Amino acid sequence: MSTLAEDIVEVAGARTRVVQGGPEREPILFLHGGAPGATLYCSGAHVWSPCLPLFANTRRVAALDLPGFGETSAPQDGASVDRAGRFALALIDALRLAPCHVVGHDEGGLIALWAALEAPAKFRSVSVAAGAAAAPSGDSVASLALLNPPRPLWSRAAQAWALERLSYTPHHIASDFLDRCAACADAPPHRAAIAGAGKSVLASIPAAKARLYAHCRARAFPVPAQLVWARHDPLTSVEQGIALFKLIAERQPATQFHVVNRSGSFPFREQPEAFHAVVSAFHDGLAAAR
Amino acid sequence: MTRAASDTPLPDGRWIDAGGIRTRYHEAGEGEPIVFIYGGNFGTADSASSAYTWSLNVAPLSARFRAIAFDKVGQGFTDNPPGDDYTMAAVVRHAAAFIAALKLPPVHLVGHSRGGFAAMRLALEHQHLIRSLTIVNSGTLSPRVGTNDVVLSQPPYPTGTRECARWVYESYSHNRAIVTEAWIDAVMETLALPKYRASVDKMEKEGLKITRFLPELARDKRETLAWLAEGRLQRPVQFVWGANDRTAAVEGGRDLFEMAAAHERRALLHVVNHSGHFPFREHPERFNALLANFAAWASA
Repeated sequence: MSTLAEDIVEVAGARTRVVQGGPEREPILFLHGGAPGATLYCSGAHVWSPCLPLFANTRRVAALDLPGFGETSAPQDGASVDRAGRFALALIDALRLAPCHVVGHDEGGLIALWAALEAPAKFRSVSVAAGAAAAPSGDSVASLALLNPPRPLWSRAAQAWALERLSYTPHHIASDFLDRCAACADAPPHRAAIAGAGKSVLASIPAAKARLYAHCRARAFPVPAQLVWARHDPLTSVEQGIALFKLIAERQPATQFHVVNRSGSFPFREQPEAFHAVVSAFHDGLAAAR
Repeated sequence: MTRAASDTPLPDGRWIDAGGIRTRYHEAGEGEPIVFIYGGNFGTADSASSAYTWSLNVAPLSARFRAIAFDKVGQGFTDNPPGDDYTMAAVVRHAAAFIAALKLPPVHLVGHSRGGFAAMRLALEHQHLIRSLTIVNSGTLSPRVGTNDVVLSQPPYPTGTRECARWVYESYSHNRAIVTEAWIDAVMETLALPKYRASVDKMEKEGLKITRFLPELARDKRETLAWLAEGRLQRPVQFVWGANDRTAAVEGGRDLFEMAAAHERRALLHVVNHSGHFPFREHPERFNALLANFAAWASA
């Protein structure tokens, strides 16, 4: 099995942790989800830990901490989808990953879609996992999954509570994973996000979605796209996933939609082998058709 | 559109006795067996399926698997059922006998359309023969209303002509250009076989389609869906659906996935864009990759 290394990389004036490894073949960039200071668990490169080694057996993989997470500081006036997207593009240049596949979770999925619109030549494909942030929501009823969080918010216990509430079962919420989430919450970038413009990523989502939808309607999503939904995701329904699929599929021929069973909002953690099979199949199929 | 998977001809046909039925099959490669069951049924006059249906899948998958496509009883070059046994039950019995005759270890079974029903029924009745199950655009298995007769009734060309067969497969497809001359050649070859014409006589002239095949299929379907819903399928299962199929709506694939996924963790649903009824012919590279990666996961 390939060993993964954790490096600190200087990107666009900020330092970010990058977990990377695997042979030099068909690189994949992983973009985690969450809005710093708003999402009740602290994501980061560590969220991919169960599935990263599976991909790294045969592929080059890189997972980073987006601005506002880990030790990666956000700009003074806060993080946003487009700033995170530019940060991801800068990292692709810094690590010489292009052309790469990108896999994004929830907000990270929307950031991946944004980045592919901005610089399609850098991407072979986009995969969106449990893409609540990117999916059309219409006037959906509110999810009550995280209605009454225990205080203090972002404590280790409060994050364990949120992760379990979003999951099908808590089996993937191991102690070392919670340690990473707790360390991320205590780090200066996340503290700054809570104190200051913490909700800025959330505030930037509607504009990013509007840009995506208008582009899909009028032109075409520029690269092959895959949506990997989870059957028990409390944040986005299969119907919402199919709505996003139809929107992208209208003009992008190489679009696929998938549902993984017995998973909540973290299919790449809760069913990592299934997630690996589904994403690998998409990449393999595109490579065979090239 | 790029088309890297060339239309590799199937390996030469071989013959085996499967439950007393002289059966033609094609196989290539080594490793865990994948067995393909195509769609359609015996005695159709407008079009005719045969093992050729899998010509874009057998050769590419043979690099990692023992890929096997056979002709179902009464279809392609395989003998007709004895007497008046023109039933789906006979198709399932013969398919199981074929797997047993080849003495295969548990197989990755793939069934398309009517063959998807046969594959599910075979898996439910003979679970020891099955390692994993892949169902592709099967209106026959789907609990929704199939629209084959809406889309394909009264072709604008005479029955039994190339034009008629071409019209049928083009109507099934998203991209009409995937219906190649070689595909139609294979259809016409089957339609011309005397034993195939005898099956048309049985189903149409003698009326077995109306008096036997369809009513028994409807009864078997009720039972099969009930078995699926009560959790009798206990093998990894995936449903692959072309998004633009005019005959078998993607919602039916989702219904089947929900029924299976309630009881089996290793269940997946895949929807493939710009594909009609035959995703394994419209996008062979992507279909083959879905199958290969699923089989690897199912065997892990």
